[in-house]
Amino acid sequence: MIHVSTKECAGGVVGRITLDRAEKKNALTPLMIAGIVAAVRELVGEERKDTGGTPMPRIGSIVLEGNGAAFCAGFDLTLCRENSDALDQLLAGLSGTIRVLRRCEVPVVLAAHGAAIAGGCALLGGADVVVTHHEAKIGYPVVRLGISPAVSAPFLRQSVGDGKTRERMLDSGLISGWEAFRMGLAHECLEDAGKVRDRAMVIAEQLAAKPRWGMAATKRWMNRVDGSDHDEWAERALAASMGLVGSGEERERLAAMWKAG
Amino acid sequence: MSNLVELNVHGGIATLMLNRPEQRNALSVELLRALHEGLDGVPGDARVVILTGAGKSFCAGMDLKEVLGEEGKEPGSENRGTQALKLLTLLAEAAVKLRSLPAVTIAAVNGAAIGGGCGLTTVCDFAITHAESKMGFPEVDLGVCPAVVAPWLVRKIGAGRARAMLLRGGLMSGREAHAAGLVSECVESREGLDAAVQSLAERLATGGPKALAATKRLLNEIDGSMDLELARRSAKVSADVLGMPEAVAMLRAKMG
Repeated sequence: MIHVSTKECAGGVVGRITLDRAEKKNALTPLMIAGIVAAVRELVGEERKDTGGTPMPRIGSIVLEGNGAAFCAGFDLTLCRENSDALDQLLAGLSGTIRVLRRCEVPVVLAAHGAAIAGGCALLGGADVVVTHHEAKIGYPVVRLGISPAVSAPFLRQSVGDGKTRERMLDSGLISGWEAFRMGLAHECLEDAGKVRDRAMVIAEQLAAKPRWGMAATKRWMNRVDGSDHDEWAERALAASMGLVGSGEERERLAAMWKAG
Repeated sequence: MSNLVELNVHGGIATLMLNRPEQRNALSVELLRALHEGLDGVPGDARVVILTGAGKSFCAGMDLKEVLGEEGKEPGSENRGTQALKLLTLLAEAAVKLRSLPAVTIAAVNGAAIGGGCGLTTVCDFAITHAESKMGFPEVDLGVCPAVVAPWLVRKIGAGRARAMLLRGGLMSGREAHAAGLVSECVESREGLDAAVQSLAERLATGGPKALAATKRLLNEIDGSMDLELARRSAKVSADVLGMPEAVAMLRAKMG
């Protein structure tokens, strides 16, 4: 369900991670989430604790994309029907995945060519550059299900600031790709959904061609400046979301959703 | 509760209306006390709280007559300083109380929202206005320091844009306020405002109360909204500058 490949280009190598569960709109399972983390580590190597002596990764950038019409519809909540631990696993995995994407040594370009909902939208917070299209549907409709999207708040605020984060987290309505672009959640917005993934690859190729040490040092420094390299807030946000797992409100609303089909 | 702030509750949506239309809902000590009472009276099971103003204005800011005291008082007099600090501290504490509500808050900016009135809109989670409304922070134009609203504006639109907005002073249209990120939605005319607010309120009310409250609590922690000491210090800074001769002279001139 996760494809990993590389593409040689004029200036270097681009790593490509593709969500490949199109029939389920790339809804995330714990296995897929673990697959994204494994893919980043396979492509880039483990997160480095210092800057000395370690060889640079062989790739210069990563594209994260999805097959089918949607980028990612969020968690596969049907898993929570049989497994009461599934939501905990998904939330913890998502938090870890965003951190791994954010902290890996190379820039991550995300192609939101179609819907990026809930956990799918949260992945945008792990990327350095996001490409979308005008009519993509983006947002966090999960408060309606008694689930708190708090887990991704520390990363969303780094992209769009506290005011917009508040609006997006509390409003279960979805916004268009154009609105996401206007608020800074996406950095390029195309009119043609079919060109989004190609455009993301072009950007990734340009980034892969840039000097590696400078790029890695810049990303590392940006993470330091905006707090992406600190775990405290990520852990507190994860705890806020996990604190509601199993609540009566969540169980009732999920049950109503499953019943409605 | 004084009728200076009216609280109405319908189906999980509570509305707090500043009700001093003859003074454009200017913030007096009495009105702010009523606002505190109103906030305390919001039912625990309310999912959405709408803050709005009676009449044509949302809120014209501080009641200057009350801040300046009686004619003939010397600038910086103890009486004036005490009154200004009391008023601004009440405003600062009301802002923290408003922010701490577990319900999602919407400022329905029906008309002018100036200075502290505009500040109240930035404390709400959402704000909706119409294209012809007037919003902004003209404090520096009057020799006054908008310290009490500064932390909320920084949280709303970011430090860089807040700095420019507060230092440039002046007012902007509802449309400009939307472009600046001060409001989340701007409808074309006053006539369309109520429907837009109701639509947003009903959508927000579909959220799980526990999920909304937990999310708000985390957001308030992350952005430092519950820092009551900072709010009170900000009130003190604003009150100190209000007592200075420059501000007193300019405010008196504005009042005519």
